[in-house]
Amino acid sequence: MARRGRQALFFLLPMLILVVAFYILPLILTAWISFTPLTNWRVRDQLDDFVGLENYVNLYYLARYDPDFHKVLQTTLVFVTFTLFINVVGGLVLAILTYLIDERISLAYRLLWLLPRMTPLAVFGLLWYYFFYGGPQGTLNSFLLKLGVIDEPVRWGTDPAMLPYSAWAIIVFVNGLVGVSYGMIIFYSAFKNIPRELIIAARVDGARTWEVIRHILVPMVRWHIVFVTVWQLLSLITSYTHLFVLVQWSVVDKWYGTTLALYVFNTAFFDVKNQGFAAAAAVILVIIGSILGLVTLRIMRFSQMISPPRGDI
Amino acid sequence: MGEGIGEGGPLVRGSMGIVIILALLIASLPIIMTYSTLILTSFANTIVSSPWVKFRFTLENWRLFLEGKLAPTAGVVYTPEDILRFIVNTAIVAGGVTLVVLAASVTSAYAFSRMNFFMRSGMMKLLILLHAFPGVALIVGVYAIYVFLNSYIPRDYSVYYSFIFVIIARASLEIPMAIWILKGFFDRVPWELEWATIVDGGSRLTALRTAVLPLVKPGIAAVAIFAFLAGWEDLIYVLVFLPPHEKTLATYIESQLGSGTLETTYLPVVAAAGTLYLIPTIIFFVVTQRLLLETMSGGLKG
Repeated sequence: MARRGRQALFFLLPMLILVVAFYILPLILTAWISFTPLTNWRVRDQLDDFVGLENYVNLYYLARYDPDFHKVLQTTLVFVTFTLFINVVGGLVLAILTYLIDERISLAYRLLWLLPRMTPLAVFGLLWYYFFYGGPQGTLNSFLLKLGVIDEPVRWGTDPAMLPYSAWAIIVFVNGLVGVSYGMIIFYSAFKNIPRELIIAARVDGARTWEVIRHILVPMVRWHIVFVTVWQLLSLITSYTHLFVLVQWSVVDKWYGTTLALYVFNTAFFDVKNQGFAAAAAVILVIIGSILGLVTLRIMRFSQMISPPRGDI
Repeated sequence: MGEGIGEGGPLVRGSMGIVIILALLIASLPIIMTYSTLILTSFANTIVSSPWVKFRFTLENWRLFLEGKLAPTAGVVYTPEDILRFIVNTAIVAGGVTLVVLAASVTSAYAFSRMNFFMRSGMMKLLILLHAFPGVALIVGVYAIYVFLNSYIPRDYSVYYSFIFVIIARASLEIPMAIWILKGFFDRVPWELEWATIVDGGSRLTALRTAVLPLVKPGIAAVAIFAFLAGWEDLIYVLVFLPPHEKTLATYIESQLGSGTLETTYLPVVAAAGTLYLIPTIIFFVVTQRLLLETMSGGLKG
């Protein structure tokens, strides 16, 4: 038994070292930092100073009285709700439509919709930078000017007259394009597991396409829908990279483009470099994230999915 | 294969099929348009933002970009940037991430597939949780470690230290998913093959190397490609950990559009940078289509 344990440990060691060094230790450190006054990364001087719950109290006061922080909280709520809706419903629609059509065309479309997810962040940001560019050369302005909808170019994400809705629409749209492919892939592969005879039989009985979708396809992926919803919820609450680029390049307004996760990142690394405070906000995110993560594990019934190993000697 | 809906043909035929295909096309227009704008602009003298923009074909943007003259309007005092170095830096990070991910995930995935040990199922669940873990909470702690260790590194070596650190830190984010994907591939290899090696007196490691690895090449390729692209596309870690003069393509593009630089930025040249940066992704797409789609869904089915 001990020999077997040692053997497994040998195989697992590289992974374990990285998990401890880059997940567990940083997590403990982040929690620790949230009780210190750490600013400007002066880790050697400030890491053993304790301020108790001061950072959390500040967070509370900010949430109550700071107008910019209110915008961040509102933006987080709007961003997560609407992007989640696009990711789940859009993913389902894409999966159904690509499932129904000819396989070669379907493959092309699925790859096309996967492209935003695989595109380097900086390039994806650049695409939308050109699209929402405030000058007459921006794609959206160019189209609308040509069609006569607008008379002069609009600064879509930053014009105060249209805030906050324009900025929200842009961040939801841009992130939705990345997120929607996840649901599409999961649902599509679930559809592929449905025995074709089932659908052919329904077809032979005269079921219309809409009825096939409603009574066969959607019910078959009920659990997948729940899973994708929770998983995407988790991912949206904690994602910040695309928003970082959009805000940094002034595609959208700073506060109406910033969610709590991005707020943590900017507070720690760019704006005020107050890591103690950022860590406190991060801890709140971790708590929300862990609860959602555990819910996901429950839903997926992971214990049943983990098959016993073969070849254990 | 015969014809008809029963034999792998489309489930919807005739006019309905065409309607769906057209609907998908319209929905895909923003994607098609933005990517074409980027690529066309890199070969044009202006931003090709819509079909009726009149532009002239030119390689000038690519020349300016590759010569490092990224802001031609900035005047004569401007020093060209070393673009080749940015490209090499991007490749170093991407290659490094690939190596670290493979080294740490192949053996673990094998162990999860073939051995029973204390906390096996607990560890597998933990990996799934880690995959979904709030990255923003980690990066604060990871940077604190980076700063702390940095004070022990001699100044001359600090650039190497930054690169090594950013590679390992970025690779760690990819490891949970890589292990799950690879485990799926290992699970499909019949156990009898290794058994033969082990009966002949070989160790588990020999069995893994000689009997199993050749059979999971597609899995290793998939994980390697995902890891490479993760390192290749990274902006945040590189921006945070590498010193400002050690740019990658991502941080270079970021620096061109970041606040305060717009007056001197010539957008068609940035488009050339973006297009070059996109090439590996496109190649990967064309070459691995099905493997890509299957791996992305398979990794989650467990």
